[in-house]
Amino acid sequence: MSSLGGGAASNSIPTISAAVSSSSLASKTSASNSSDALSSSNRQLLTTIQIVQQKFKENENVLSIFEAYQIIGQEHTSRILCLVVSVAGGTYAVFSMAASRLPPRSCSDLTIDKVFPLNESFCMGNDRKGSISQLQFTLKCSDEQPVKYFYYPLSSDNDVVDFDTFQAQVTSAKMSMVLSPSESTALSFAWVNDYRQIGEVKQEMKRREHEYIKYKDFTIYCATYNVNNKSYIDSPLHLWLAASEDAPDIYAIALQELDTSAKAITFSENRPDYMWIMKMLESVHDKGEYEELTSVRLVGMMLTVIVKREIRSSITRHNVKTIARGILNTLGNKGGVAVSLQLNEANLCFVNSHLAAHMGFVEARNEDYHGIVKGLVFDDELRRTINDHDHIFWIGDLNYRIEEPPGLQLPVARSTAHSAEILLKYDQLRQEMRKGNCFEGYTEGPINFRPTYKYDPGTDNYDSSEKQRAPAYCDRILWKGSRITQLAYNSVMDIRQSDHKPVYAVFRVSIKTRDDHLYKKVHEEVLKLLDKRENESQPQIIVEKTIIDFGMVRFNETVVSDFTVSNACPMQVGFEFKRKDPPLNAICEKWLRVEPWKEKLMIDSTKSIRVKLSANVDSITSLLQKIRTTNWKFDFDILILQVENGPHIFITVTGEYKPSCFGLSMETLCRTDRPLCEYDQQQIKDLMNDESPEFRVTMPREFFLLIDYLHKQGPKVEGAFTLDSLEFKHARNVEFNDIRDWLDTWSNNEFPGTPQAAAEALLMLLHLPEKPLLDPYVDDLLKTKTTAEAMELVSLLSSPKRNVFVHLCMFLREGIERKYYNGMHVATIFGRVLLRSTKKSDDYYRDINCREFMQRFISNGEMSTLSSSSSSASSATGSHHNHHRATTPVAKMKNSASNASLSGGSTAAVDSS
Amino acid sequence: MSSTPYNYNYIFKYIIIGDMGVGKSCILHQFTEKKFMANCPHTIGVEFGTRIIEVDDKKIKLQIWDTAGQERFRAVTRSYYRGAAGALMVYDITRRSTYNHLSSWLTDTRNLTNPNTVIFLIGNKSDLESTREVTYEEAEEFAKENGLMFLEASAMTGQNVEEAFLETARRIYQNIQEGRLDLNASESGVQHRPSQPGRTSLTNEAPNNKDQCSC
Repeated sequence: MSSLGGGAASNSIPTISAAVSSSSLASKTSASNSSDALSSSNRQLLTTIQIVQQKFKENENVLSIFEAYQIIGQEHTSRILCLVVSVAGGTYAVFSMAASRLPPRSCSDLTIDKVFPLNESFCMGNDRKGSISQLQFTLKCSDEQPVKYFYYPLSSDNDVVDFDTFQAQVTSAKMSMVLSPSESTALSFAWVNDYRQIGEVKQEMKRREHEYIKYKDFTIYCATYNVNNKSYIDSPLHLWLAASEDAPDIYAIALQELDTSAKAITFSENRPDYMWIMKMLESVHDKGEYEELTSVRLVGMMLTVIVKREIRSSITRHNVKTIARGILNTLGNKGGVAVSLQLNEANLCFVNSHLAAHMGFVEARNEDYHGIVKGLVFDDELRRTINDHDHIFWIGDLNYRIEEPPGLQLPVARSTAHSAEILLKYDQLRQEMRKGNCFEGYTEGPINFRPTYKYDPGTDNYDSSEKQRAPAYCDRILWKGSRITQLAYNSVMDIRQSDHKPVYAVFRVSIKTRDDHLYKKVHEEVLKLLDKRENESQPQIIVEKTIIDFGMVRFNETVVSDFTVSNACPMQVGFEFKRKDPPLNAICEKWLRVEPWKEKLMIDSTKSIRVKLSANVDSITSLLQKIRTTNWKFDFDILILQVENGPHIFITVTGEYKPSCFGLSMETLCRTDRPLCEYDQQQIKDLMNDESPEFRVTMPREFFLLIDYLHKQGPKVEGAFTLDSLEFKHARNVEFNDIRDWLDTWSNNEFPGTPQAAAEALLMLLHLPEKPLLDPYVDDLLKTKTTAEAMELVSLLSSPKRNVFVHLCMFLREGIERKYYNGMHVATIFGRVLLRSTKKSDDYYRDINCREFMQRFISNGEMSTLSSSSSSASSATGSHHNHHRATTPVAKMKNSASNASLSGGSTAAVDSS
Repeated sequence: MSSTPYNYNYIFKYIIIGDMGVGKSCILHQFTEKKFMANCPHTIGVEFGTRIIEVDDKKIKLQIWDTAGQERFRAVTRSYYRGAAGALMVYDITRRSTYNHLSSWLTDTRNLTNPNTVIFLIGNKSDLESTREVTYEEAEEFAKENGLMFLEASAMTGQNVEEAFLETARRIYQNIQEGRLDLNASESGVQHRPSQPGRTSLTNEAPNNKDQCSC
């Protein structure tokens, strides 16, 4: 690359390894972020623009930087936009960089995320129509969607320009490049491709290129010869092609006027002339073994690149391209042919051009030159132009003449008395180059040979024809690029077949070459560094506590605990509680509420999170199920606090559930021998898992207490069971907990509530266990047609369930009989409770089916399928019963049950209670 | 420069599992930082480490999920197995109980990962020879019976740590080469060259399928 931009070289700027150093994996939640402190102590006093500059190569200069942000999803993401010029290409681009912190402290905080070359299609718009902010604009390139940016009204950094300045700079940069549309293809933006869509590794490797690049000398031999239509050459070409002492590594041999017949011109002959190529291969240096790499031809112009066999493998790529500049820029009698190749890490370009002829056509030649420079684009993956190469050799019949100096006799060049030095003063090419009209940036070595045109063929005499054309240095070799030394530049007088003399130049070029060993070392370092950076830049959140212990948790009492989460990293960080896998499919168990479940933490900020636990009618069933099935120590839940792009932190919600009768199965209740308040969680868990058929009582004491109480209330129970009883309105009232305690302590005190509340407690007792009372025969029972059939199945239930069912039906029937409550409603709600579907289907027909089933057991017969004998019998006997005895419904049930062939065992069990 | 643009060609997801205190986090730290982390606190959750390695000239980004080993977290950590291409199952050669629990860790791994997940058994703390409770031969036999790769390693000295991670990657890569892994399936734990270079979001990569969980 050209050294023009050398002033901005940033080789002395320390590498990022100095800025990023930290001793520990910062992913421990308890560890504060140490890399921050360390890097600040190591901080170099670099301005932001200097840091940004480090992202670029030496001849790419950051002109200004602008702070913006993008809104991605819900997030504001910082961006640094910078306007960069490539000194070599003279083209500009805007780069968008993601900044992991602002202001950046080292270039490792920056990652290029988008590149906008300021080409024709580039557009910076601040159309605010329908925008959410006045402070927004878009950048657009080619066919891509415009990218939207926002900015702050004020900037925090002195290096950062304001929006208007930035926009003005971008606009003027673009304007400065705007040439006529036909020439715009010439602007080379290939340099920006180095920054496009490449990973951090490549960006970093490029930045550290100087650490693994060494320079290796190659000898490059350029030669040009206008053969004046001589198809057969019998000249000692080795004088032209083997003039160097050492065997060159690469030859670039240019011929002009191979065949300028009208036919060749019209049909743009472009097949390489193998006679010539053979001849060249025969004539190159005999100290090396050579092969043709490639040849390219356009009518009279041919360029052949011949390489030494031993370096062939160092050439990793080569392309050719032609461009016609003849009449109407389409005929190929004038123009250029070029070869692009990569040798090790360097890109080389050889151009052979034949520019417009005749003394007066200086401007046409300049135009041809510019036309070739701008129009020739190789078909490689980067669409390189000539200027996109590190080393360029321009060879050919450039056709620049020697002006007739005023006062000197014509033609001045004919005289051998004038040295080349004087002649060159009037050389059009030199003059035009001095004026900056062509071959900008090119160098030509000193000319110590006579003008190479125009000779009488076969002689060393200048044109003796009538035209008496003035001698000129038509055939030239120029170069552009750094680390090129010319070793020789000469013409060959002893080749006489053409009206031109052939010219050659030998160069020593230091070719950028990768030291594989160093490359590997740097590469490993870069990978390690990036891994380290990624590991260390993981966002961190400090959680105040990872164990939330609620202590003793009681049924129907909500407990609350707050804890804080703090941002422990130098950037905004988001977190949310992770949704657990199905079947839970939620961030926490049913009995918990976590708020907020998702939040953003600004730098240095702290938020409080509230966890609420309620073991109530909605959650007790699943809570007890979890207690029953947990093998290890029971926790209410483990919340997963998921730090965005960072670790997941487990927050254990623990405590001990104080058992209550609610939610326990009838079997479990029948295994207790003392009030539930005297049990702890573990004991209840053991009872829940006890599957033996032994029961301490035949019917749960708690059930009995409620039935007994309700029974004693007589007409006061009116309206106790309604269709909305299952909404458990009483239970949502704190006073309900007195009823809980009354039941859980087997209290002798008066019932602490209303009959309606007692009715609800009864429903809860039946509704909250994991399985419905009539499990596992629910489906079978619903299919039965007769009460007798159903009773057979009921008799198969566990004795606690069977007894509860029988008691309950007796009790309900009595209430309905006495018109305390609506039989239809009771059948509906108890149908839903006792025959609760485990499948959670809200089937309307099933609901009716359940109700009808219940009606058979609790209504007095007229619409029941229960046999009329049994129902009349029961009602007949029932009317005599003593209302003050809790066993009344049982006795009544006994009658009906015997009629319905209830098994003897069951009645015996009921009796014993 | 026209060298091939790359960041990495593949991402492999690993999980590290095993009883509490066997040195899972230390192994990860040794692998990513080449340092021994003394007094490493218990991991309460899941932490991540990444490192880019090279297998067969391919750049592979290992994304390693280090899980909490405490028994009380067992149910929660199960949700992290899915989509792991490699599972490093660690026990402590100086604590027999951690070895005895391997079959339960192995059951979880087999149940919760895909059949091609490479399981590598690591007997950690090989530097503590004097207090060894599990012989090399015994563990080797266990590994052989269950078709596991096996090494004794030391997060303290670094011995064999690198090897365990790299061998696992090689085996996964071999599975890819032999067409045994469906790269399009999220459960494979392998992603082929991310379209968007740079840091990839860990959270977005967690497979989000609605399959009924078997756990």
